Amino acid sequence: MSQLTGSPSSVIRRPATPPMRLGAFVNDATVRSVFYQAVTFVCVVGLIWYLVSNTITNMAQRGMSAGFDFLDVSAGFNIAFTLIPYREGDSYFRVFQVGIANTLLVAVIGAVFASILGLVMGLARLSTNWLIRTLARWYIEILRNTPLLLQIIAWYFGVFNLLPLPRASIDLGGVMYLNNRGAYFPAPVAQEGFALTLLALVAAVAGAVVLHIWAKRRLRDTGRAFPSGLAGAALILLLPLLVFLASGAPLAWDWPALRGFNFRGGFSVPPAFCALIVALSIYTSCFIAEIVRAGIQSVSHGQTEAARALGVKPSRTMRFIILPQAMRVIIPPLISQYLNLTKNSSLAIAIGFPDLVSVWMNTSLNQSGRAIPIVAMTMGFYCAVSLGVSFVLNLYNRRILLRER
Amino acid sequence: MRIGVSLLIAATTMLGVAGAASAQQTLQQVRDRGSLNCQVGLPTPGFYALAANGTWSGMDVDVCRGVAAAIFNDPGKVQYQSVTSAVRFTSLANGESDMLSRTTTWTAVRDGQLGLEFAGVNFYDGQGFVVPRASNITSARELDGATICVLTGTTTELNLADYFRANNMRFTAVTNENVNVLVETYLGGGCDAYTNDKSGLAARRSAFPTPNDHMILPETISKEPLGPVVRHGDNNWGDIVRWVLMGMIEAEEMGVTSANVTQMLQSPNPGIKRLLGVEGNVGQGMGLPNDFMVRVLRHVGNYGEIYERNVGANTPIGIPRERSLNALWNNGGILYAMPFR
Amino acid sequence: MSDAPLVFTPRPADPPPPSTIGVVGWMRANLFSSLPNAILTFLGGYIFYVVVTTIIDWALVKAVWEAENRRQCLDLVGRSGACWPGVVEWIPNLIYGLYPKDQVWRINIGFLILLAWAVPLWLPRVKSKVAIGLSLVLLYPLLASYFFHGGAQGVVWTALIALGGAAFLWVWLTTLAEMRFGLGFGALVARLAGAADDERARRIGWGALAALYVLALLVVSQLRFVEVPTRVWGGLFLTLVISGIGIAFSLPAGVLLALGRRSQMPLIRVFCVTFIELFRSVPLITILFMFNTMLPLFLPAGVEVNRLLRAIVAVCLFASAYMAEIVRGGLQAIPKGQYEAAAAMGLGFWQSTSLIILPQALRIMIPSIVGNFIGLFKDTTLVSIIGLFDLLSMSRAVGEDTRWLGLFIEPFFFITMIYFVFCFLMSQYSLNLERRLGEGQRR
Repeated sequence: MSQLTGSPSSVIRRPATPPMRLGAFVNDATVRSVFYQAVTFVCVVGLIWYLVSNTITNMAQRGMSAGFDFLDVSAGFNIAFTLIPYREGDSYFRVFQVGIANTLLVAVIGAVFASILGLVMGLARLSTNWLIRTLARWYIEILRNTPLLLQIIAWYFGVFNLLPLPRASIDLGGVMYLNNRGAYFPAPVAQEGFALTLLALVAAVAGAVVLHIWAKRRLRDTGRAFPSGLAGAALILLLPLLVFLASGAPLAWDWPALRGFNFRGGFSVPPAFCALIVALSIYTSCFIAEIVRAGIQSVSHGQTEAARALGVKPSRTMRFIILPQAMRVIIPPLISQYLNLTKNSSLAIAIGFPDLVSVWMNTSLNQSGRAIPIVAMTMGFYCAVSLGVSFVLNLYNRRILLRER
Repeated sequence: MRIGVSLLIAATTMLGVAGAASAQQTLQQVRDRGSLNCQVGLPTPGFYALAANGTWSGMDVDVCRGVAAAIFNDPGKVQYQSVTSAVRFTSLANGESDMLSRTTTWTAVRDGQLGLEFAGVNFYDGQGFVVPRASNITSARELDGATICVLTGTTTELNLADYFRANNMRFTAVTNENVNVLVETYLGGGCDAYTNDKSGLAARRSAFPTPNDHMILPETISKEPLGPVVRHGDNNWGDIVRWVLMGMIEAEEMGVTSANVTQMLQSPNPGIKRLLGVEGNVGQGMGLPNDFMVRVLRHVGNYGEIYERNVGANTPIGIPRERSLNALWNNGGILYAMPFR
Repeated sequence: MSDAPLVFTPRPADPPPPSTIGVVGWMRANLFSSLPNAILTFLGGYIFYVVVTTIIDWALVKAVWEAENRRQCLDLVGRSGACWPGVVEWIPNLIYGLYPKDQVWRINIGFLILLAWAVPLWLPRVKSKVAIGLSLVLLYPLLASYFFHGGAQGVVWTALIALGGAAFLWVWLTTLAEMRFGLGFGALVARLAGAADDERARRIGWGALAALYVLALLVVSQLRFVEVPTRVWGGLFLTLVISGIGIAFSLPAGVLLALGRRSQMPLIRVFCVTFIELFRSVPLITILFMFNTMLPLFLPAGVEVNRLLRAIVAVCLFASAYMAEIVRGGLQAIPKGQYEAAAAMGLGFWQSTSLIILPQALRIMIPSIVGNFIGLFKDTTLVSIIGLFDLLSMSRAVGEDTRWLGLFIEPFFFITMIYFVFCFLMSQYSLNLERRLGEGQRR
């Protein structure tokens, strides 16, 4: 059965297999390959057909509906936190969109915090300070080894539910308020002419990119470095600010204010959101910390020594020698941690944050009773996100692989 | 891979053969199995409570026991399936449960669109609010702008939204599918009010650290007729569940209890005679013995007994029955059994 | 007058300065080597202090240990201290679920057998570790199902269970024989019987095994356990059963899928890739949900697949997809030369895979497999959502007990500890293993 060679690039085909007991035909690699595939194909397709036909019969028999007609029906329940506008009278399809927006929001914010925290903890794990090193190790060990579901609930009750009542809110400089109903921020309201500032921002970002490319080329051609990072950051910050001030600061703020039971106005996030973000970031950061540590440790010590011998400064050694090599090891597992984070955000159901699974696969399913289309749509969304990210990751992998040789 | 798949095919084919032979009516399936698959919810005091020794009890559990008693003359022949409310209807629809008895509200959409059949009402409930006394709120109308803790995936959630929309008020929901999480949130001040069916509110309030610091608001914002549910399509099975429930209510009206059911067999009252199967053939039409109500009453008792045992004033739940909706129709309530004839 | 040879005696070295040795020195070097380090130390120490004292205060200092119901706890300390009596009362349920109390010994024996079966794997002088490990994964479940589920067994089941029993006997007889005489069980019996040549020795060895089997069959056919249906299984026991079956199934399935993914046959590759990517890309909770609601629809009307089985099928498929990726990683780590050398020796695909590649790959994969198992063990908390009484659901049930109504945080804290202890021990074991396996490869 030599047609099934383990490694794709080492195909070893013996062109003239000597006739054996069953003759050359049976042992011919191509014939057998086709035969196996045909058998597998028939089995898999047969199995799928069998399951599908059973399902159709059963559903017809039990009066279950698989149609998507309910998507237009008004949902009728309130959603505690929505990124996109939603009212009780909106359709189930709108609920689906709200769920997706909330899930993506949690995933993106969670990924940012998890990366920062993971990097810090990964470095702390390699710290020379014994206490920090030990605390970092126990931080990772404890949090990595308890189910995330339990951690989310613990954060919710252990911290965010213990914050003061709205009347006794924690006042952060009169700008942000924190209480057990959530965190309240002033919301920017764009006035006429704010578009100019946005335009300036776009221009500044483009300028920074061009600057970076030019600096890189100059470094390659002449060997003279230019602090393009710093200059780019200054450009992105200053240009829009100047335009903003020049156009007369066309931005109003909607301030949260205590009225009745709670703060009104501004932008707010519920405690469940905070608990979910904190728990997800911390849990994921443990895995990221280990990835960072393994990545840095994977770069041979000889590299550092060689850089020293060539007189490269330690900070530059880290930046130009160690990190680029470590990144190659870090990125693929890092991305899969981001995907895990996205999938884990489905545990929001435990504290009632309205993510996709909670608001769609739980509440909507419960209210409409349409199990099959709802579960299929939920799985479809996660599949799409995951496959999309995998596709990008594969492109990236191919790029760094090409550079290797 | 190939071997795995062919094994899978073989296995499913065998299951298929076994399955085709047993596609019969629910009553027959239950008889063949030797037990009733009765779906209840996650443990909830009073309605489907789970004790540390593993036994189930409660208002809704007694309906299951009644049906099992009617079929097998043994109320213990029930397999309780305790599932979250998210999968309750699919578990019934896909044939896993024979019936569902878990404080489920009878609504038109559930009855008409989800392939369900409501067999009656065993508890009339209504939704209310509990608030801290310190908040000085005395009516639900004063809750405009409040944050409210509500159980998700239930009619409670929809009623809440309806009530606020109807009164042109706003609210923020804190939702969860675990009552204890909501109660903890409420006690920690995470919401201004906690809403649920009133049957549950009193029991929960009694378990607060200082019950007197909290009060139940007078308004009842919804109608919650709770009852057992069966699958659409098997009318005979629906009849069995319905008439076991009706029989329990009728028995209370006629004064037949678990204690006196044996004496009552001698009763000259024609109504009691029909109920207990001494006269007439009510059970026969449903595929049950005519004396099925004797079995039910002997093992489980009449509606009044079930009520007092599980949620009555002398239990920790403590819902007084006097003049409530759940009293008999001739006693100020709306509980009314259809005639047994 | 012999002049003694001039001997150079070095003056004893000065003791190290007191600031570099002992506690002070260690602290200087490790905690306060620089100003930022000192600040970090104080900050870290403070956070640690606050977290630990808060937890201890609630869980131990202010806790109530004796009460009849939650009302009494609340009247004593309110919500500032834990109320443990409710948890203590429910501990048997948290561990065994609703399993009948008088049958719980069966679970205990079942897990003791598992431990006893695994012990030889750590004994240094035992040679047949591969066979013991394989029998553990393949045959122990048969025996365990007999202990846990019980009930009337058909002829086929009895025969299979006896196979498990015989395997267990064989494991320990072989272990003892190898520890004492350095010979396997069969070989030892042959030696004792004075077998003249290899052929006879082999025949006697098989005979001895057959005798073991008959013995096990006799025992099994005599023992009768009361049937305990799976719906009353629960607690930690159920969590272990689900994750255990998941990992045992996912190993072979993962190997097959990974091989399929690297296969030259496009159709097989496509099927495997689709399966793996599909199951890896969606959350376990959606898979559980789908299998729970859809599996009864997939099968012909009237077939009842019990709830536990549905959860197990979902967990197995999910775990296989993850395991396939681990195995793929292991296969990729094997140098190409190994494949080529195997092919050059004229070994076919299955031969080279099972004899050359997999043994090396599995060695590399052990830490990841343990990691996967930890993940699976934690993920089983999700089965509570489809209504199985695992550890998490059981802890929720405590708070719905009429006497302990609202007791929610305490059981929750308790099961968190259980999860932590289990996962921590496993992860330490995995680290230890990684260190030992890595020794030969590190510079």
